Amino acid sequence: MSAIVRTLSLGFAAAVAATAFGLSPSIAQGPPGMSRMDKTNAGASGQARTLRPHRTPPIAPKPDKIPLDKIKLPAGFKAEIYSHGHAGGRTMVRAPGGTIFMGSRAIGRVYAIVDKGGKREVKIIAKGLTHPNGIEFRNGSLYVFSIHRVYRYDIIEKNLDKPGKPVELTKAYNLPPEIHHNWKYVAFGPDGKMYVQVGANCNICEINNGIRGHIRRYNADGTGMEIVARGIRNTVGFDWHPETKELWFTDNGRDWAGNEGPEDELNRVAKNNEGAFYGFPYCHANGIADQNVKIPNACAGVTMPAALLGPHAAALGIKFYTGAMFPAAYRNVAFIARHGSWNRENKYGYDVVVARPQADGSAKIEPFLQGLLDNDGNKFYGRPSYVMQMPDGALLVSDETNGATYRISYSGAK
Amino acid sequence: MAERSGKYRSQGIFLAAALLVASSLQALAQVPPPVSAKLRERIEVCKTCHGADGNSQMEKIPSLAGQPEYFLLNQLVLMREGVRPVKEMAEFVKDLTDEDIQSLSAYFSKLVPILTGPKPDPALVAKGKPVAEKLLCVSCHGKKLEGVEQIPRLSGQRIDYMIAAMRAYRMDKRPGADTTMSAAIASASDGDLVALAHYAASR
Repeated sequence: MSAIVRTLSLGFAAAVAATAFGLSPSIAQGPPGMSRMDKTNAGASGQARTLRPHRTPPIAPKPDKIPLDKIKLPAGFKAEIYSHGHAGGRTMVRAPGGTIFMGSRAIGRVYAIVDKGGKREVKIIAKGLTHPNGIEFRNGSLYVFSIHRVYRYDIIEKNLDKPGKPVELTKAYNLPPEIHHNWKYVAFGPDGKMYVQVGANCNICEINNGIRGHIRRYNADGTGMEIVARGIRNTVGFDWHPETKELWFTDNGRDWAGNEGPEDELNRVAKNNEGAFYGFPYCHANGIADQNVKIPNACAGVTMPAALLGPHAAALGIKFYTGAMFPAAYRNVAFIARHGSWNRENKYGYDVVVARPQADGSAKIEPFLQGLLDNDGNKFYGRPSYVMQMPDGALLVSDETNGATYRISYSGAK
Repeated sequence: MAERSGKYRSQGIFLAAALLVASSLQALAQVPPPVSAKLRERIEVCKTCHGADGNSQMEKIPSLAGQPEYFLLNQLVLMREGVRPVKEMAEFVKDLTDEDIQSLSAYFSKLVPILTGPKPDPALVAKGKPVAEKLLCVSCHGKKLEGVEQIPRLSGQRIDYMIAAMRAYRMDKRPGADTTMSAAIASASDGDLVALAHYAASR
């Protein structure tokens, strides 16, 4: 523990340069703030007036407070704490040298988790950023997306204690600067392009699909932008099917339209359907017309989801599994972390589910990691946020509220 | 008749006495937890701006007394990390350890909030009430706007501070907090914000 603390404080000192850089004044890009066209009518939702977003502890709990004993998995699977002490850590990407980089939201840090002979050290390589949730790694460089700011840390694995000043690509990417629903998810696709989330800057409102509410892709340097899928409220996780190479993404349903939905979506961008429209703000889930933004034929021309992911579940990270450790039945299925509801009286989610793609392009959802939600007490112990496959085939699951990752391994019969 | 009112009066006196005992018990329970000598010094520094009893006597400086412990902790971490840069605070928070922040938050959360600064204008309070109801302030800030966990107390907070804070939220100039607050007041007018502050302070 003290070794970790020492490394953390070293990280603080090392991150000062990056911090100063992160706080440079933003470039003017239109009016700040939220959409003034939000049509939310919470009073008409019939939902309790006591629903509010949950807190995320900015100080990570000690290992003995991490609810490992609550986690339940199918037979043959085991969970253990892989790393801890990274308060608010969410997104994960593993570099070839073995460093796991981790993005966060409100706490504004980017962590590096380094394996030292079976023990993990946590370093802070950047801090003071605004929701640096978007991280990706390629050719020795770490990409960090902090709302509209884009930084590239070159040769980072060799310089974890002195990351130096990153190359700034903000101008090239030219992303909207509004914070709401703009904590990025980013990933390089099989085509080598950088795919970037841009959410709607409201709960429910009209949006200009040329600017937000979509997934776009770029060349790594920020040139060649094009929109890949539109009508998306807020996706914070996507991945490509290992065989079809099609893009699958989660999308979070709107709030204040009742406890039962509209459900979150798992969507597929079929090869011949790139650029398609997925319904926001008019049409939700599997064909529910919006109650506040009304148009005739609200679902006409809308690509329906491959699966529903539950009411207010907050489905975030998704990764298709290609490892050899888990039984063959898990090959090419997607693991999806459901962060858990806030806008629902009876809490929902706080788990990891499996999505099994079907021949018709849909997917079947099954439970996988459970136990972090106490249904009887209507309380939660942790919030799974992202999933990542390790080289040995184990699955890492990040838990934002516990500042920890769990390593899920399989040792049962195959 | 006289007899009856006399009876009521004595009941009233008894009630008042009971309340007094209860409130002094409550006051006892509110005694802040002990802090180290180093933190005691730091707390004195905090109090030069945030008020000797944690209720600020300075314009646009927020009162900390009675804020939810978790709210104070969260904001101090965010200020230390530079996520929420506050020029006036930078020097005081940069060296705080997690443990210091936990102790400071526990201390100020236990102080008793008293409204300071401008007094609520009854006309603005009346104007703010329906706005607050429409924006569902109580949903996050609690039934009496007393603050809940990471969400601040508004009841008894300085009006001038709240107006400045809401203007910052509306312009996305208050990083670190959940964007729900920016969302809630995105379409509120400046007049609405002023009325909201008067209403909230008066709760």
